[in-house]
Amino acid sequence: MTDLAVDVLIGAGLLALAWQTIIGKSLFRGIVLFVVFGLTMALAWARMGAPDLALAEAAIGAGVTGALMLVAFRRLVRIRPEQSAQPALRRSRLALPVAVLAGSLVAVIGLAVVAVERDPAVAGQAVAQALTDSGLGNPITGVLLLYRNLDTLLEVAVLLAAFLAARTVFGEDEARSPTPSRREVPLVGALLAIIVPLTILIATHLLLAGSREPGGAFQAGAVLAASGVLLVLAGRLQPAAGLSSWPALGLTLGLMLFSLIGLAVMAFGAPLLALPGLWAVYLIETAMMLSIAMTLVLLFAGASGLRRGSP
Amino acid sequence: MSSTALYVLVAAGLFGIGVYGLIIASHLLRKLFAINIMGNAIFVLMVAASAPLDGRPDAVPQALVLTGIVIAVSATAFALALMVQLYRVTGQASLEEDPTEDD
Repeated sequence: MTDLAVDVLIGAGLLALAWQTIIGKSLFRGIVLFVVFGLTMALAWARMGAPDLALAEAAIGAGVTGALMLVAFRRLVRIRPEQSAQPALRRSRLALPVAVLAGSLVAVIGLAVVAVERDPAVAGQAVAQALTDSGLGNPITGVLLLYRNLDTLLEVAVLLAAFLAARTVFGEDEARSPTPSRREVPLVGALLAIIVPLTILIATHLLLAGSREPGGAFQAGAVLAASGVLLVLAGRLQPAAGLSSWPALGLTLGLMLFSLIGLAVMAFGAPLLALPGLWAVYLIETAMMLSIAMTLVLLFAGASGLRRGSP
Repeated sequence: MSSTALYVLVAAGLFGIGVYGLIIASHLLRKLFAINIMGNAIFVLMVAASAPLDGRPDAVPQALVLTGIVIAVSATAFALALMVQLYRVTGQASLEEDPTEDD
């Protein structure tokens, strides 16, 4: 009974936050509410027995998306401060009926799926059995890297493609206006000295724990990206024009290493992307974490490179 | 009502809100909120409607949704870059001819 009450509260919170995000008066408020919506989603994932998704949602869905939206909003305001995009909601007679129909369609499909007599989940069962002797205790990491590794490889490729596309669209304007160094605020240095090492520690823990417990390369990469974002905000890392070598290496490391190992196993007669062991999983996860973090930080900075700022 | 049915209904509600927002929003950032909410609705539906295995949730849909979350962020980042550039070039972050006009 208490369980259901908690679920009802979370569900009602999600719907209310989504509604307020959509119809809220100001865009900034909308972004903040969207981040809160993401964090509530993380609670919902935890309630649904998906702690990996809860971590991913909190770090990636709420954290990184929120940071990217805020920085985009700041750029809009900076381009034309006088009309900082005060939104007009359109009136539409069709909107409500269409929305209700779409929602009902999802409800009918979902309830029908739930009501159907279920076959035992064949793939899920096979994973649960196979993983007990592979040494990977976390079935999600197992699925991502052992059984659906082409998906995971392409996912890293999509992230890189999104970065390259954003750079192509965006040009290098942002790199010419460096973030001011916040030297005048005395607490920033102390804050960074505590938070950045702590973030790196948490990211490493998430990465290593990812083989047994909830966690993994994506969550770790997003947490690591948070410390990079903080350094950019504090002016310790400055956006730089042009792709220099170490950011470029960081961007492509995950994709390259994953592809190389995936192809190299074919020389030994194994099928494409059949990872040879746990060491390969750890190696690829580490490389992916670095690439994901680098991509997200560069997307945030709106630049194709980073250089050291003055401390 | 079970928790599963509850989350299916929440997913339906979120999807409806997302569709509504997508139609009535004129600012592109709001349309992005709406699209992300619709995506989240589908993620909730996929996880909530998957059958548990011996009391434990099925790992395969969860792994698919984890991939989906990262793809959603990638697409959002690209869309935000497009929006900022559109604003820089045309002076408005909306696809309409005149965003203040009511129809």
